[in-house]
Amino acid sequence: MSFEKFINQELTGWMVAEGEHADIVLSTRIRLARNLQDHLFPVCASQEDAAAVDEAVHQAVSKMRDQHFTGTAMVDLTPLQRQILVEKHLVSPQLIDPEKHGSVLLSEDETISIMVNEEDHIRIQCIYPGFQIDEAYELADRVDSEMEKNIDYAFDETFGYLTSCPSNTGTGMRASVMMHLPALTITKQIERIIPAISRLGMVVRGSYGEGSEALGNIYQISNQITLGKSEEEILKDLKSISARLIAHERKSRELLLAKSEVHLENRLFRSLGTLTHARILPSAEAAKCLSDVRLGIDLNIIENIDMSVLNELMIFMQPGYLQQYAGTELTSDERDILRAQLFRDRLKIERSAEPDGDQELS
Amino acid sequence: MLCENCKERPATVVFKQETPTGITERHLCDKCAFYSQTFSFSPGQEPLSIQQFLAHWLGGSELFSEQKADEKLPDGPKCPNCGLTFHRFLDVGKFGCATCYDAFRQQLPRVFAKLHNGHTQHGGKIPVSLNERFALKRKLEDIRTKMREAVEEERFEEAAALRDEANLVKQQLDDGGDDQHVI
Ligand SMILES: [Zn+2]
Ligand SMILES: [Zn+2]
Repeated sequence: MSFEKFINQELTGWMVAEGEHADIVLSTRIRLARNLQDHLFPVCASQEDAAAVDEAVHQAVSKMRDQHFTGTAMVDLTPLQRQILVEKHLVSPQLIDPEKHGSVLLSEDETISIMVNEEDHIRIQCIYPGFQIDEAYELADRVDSEMEKNIDYAFDETFGYLTSCPSNTGTGMRASVMMHLPALTITKQIERIIPAISRLGMVVRGSYGEGSEALGNIYQISNQITLGKSEEEILKDLKSISARLIAHERKSRELLLAKSEVHLENRLFRSLGTLTHARILPSAEAAKCLSDVRLGIDLNIIENIDMSVLNELMIFMQPGYLQQYAGTELTSDERDILRAQLFRDRLKIERSAEPDGDQELS
Repeated sequence: MLCENCKERPATVVFKQETPTGITERHLCDKCAFYSQTFSFSPGQEPLSIQQFLAHWLGGSELFSEQKADEKLPDGPKCPNCGLTFHRFLDVGKFGCATCYDAFRQQLPRVFAKLHNGHTQHGGKIPVSLNERFALKRKLEDIRTKMREAVEEERFEEAAALRDEANLVKQQLDDGGDDQHVI
């Protein structure tokens, strides 16, 4: 089995718009950080150390019965291929530093990825579409328990799983839920919610663009505390906070609709217009418009667009994908032009795209 | 100077943050400095990294508060396996190996309490191979407690029986340890 398929295969499991609350929750992710007992942590490991760890992990993974994994070292991939793995959220940006001897093992359906020699020796990650916290943890826990049969983890009776960073010590678990919260953002309620949630040992992150709004109104809610609470307690807290956020977002959407329907419609349709007609589409603008169109679909204001297409576009609009699609390196300007074309094609509103002169696509 | 965040308490900590436009300084009180790691997500403001958090909050304002910034700070304990000193650990915010946890055992509860809302002890999953040892250890502690009680109350026959039982469990524990090394 060649590793190429993971790079070429455009859709990955978590991108399909399904699972509970799929209109608001894009994906659920569990990550477990683990280390081997007798090796220096990757931050200060020698090449030999790193190679030995890599070998041990690959051995352990190959003995796992109910899952088949395909692995590759980061050095064996081109920079573009590495970037695509990051854009698909299958590996972290830290792993792809070619100096660090990182490698990744992916399950057939790309739901499980095991990163080797990232910040920790082992990072087990499971991603599910929609709101599936328990399912994602069950899978990660099973992989972890299987691994442990063949590997001695660094574990301490007082401190739990020993990790490179003290912020992961204990369970080594980071559970996160990616949510689309446009109504809470438009109504500025999110600004009050973020500090409140942080006091409960949870973190809300948005990836900020140039303006004050999170890029595409997408937020990631995750546990900050890994020590002192059991996995189940952490997941329970995350579930209850997520559920409250979801309910809050829904209520805000209804309110927005009730209060200023025509203004909301105006905004959402303008964004649809931009996505379907723009000739130059910078990523921040694309993210904002995608968020609006997504909200329009959820509120039944915009029809005839499949949510999965929007999830795809969210991934494909990124630089790595665009360049793979073009088959060549692109300047940022060229990317904005290609991005615009991709959106027009994918959303198929315009019947036929006129030939774009200097943009030659393979 | 008042804390830039709450504007209530005096600013005791200076955070230098790298932003795309250069380095900015923020003057915060202890409390906000601690929380800013979690709620510094307001626009245009990068969240603090764990390194900054540890280096400034623990290293800067508390542990070595009587030191001047340019004086050489005490190194604290040193990990015999990877050579990391506690002071260096506060700087980089990362352990070098599993043995570091042993080397810094005395200092760590303070670090963890700050990072994990006051928690200092693991309460979650335990590797299956350790579960059994855990049970045996707990049993051994139980027996020893009963033995002490028996001795105090001068029930020596019972104490002797308990001692034999304890030795048996201890033997089991040692065997378990050996088995692990063989595998
Ligand atoms: Zn303050
Ligand atoms: Zn060490």
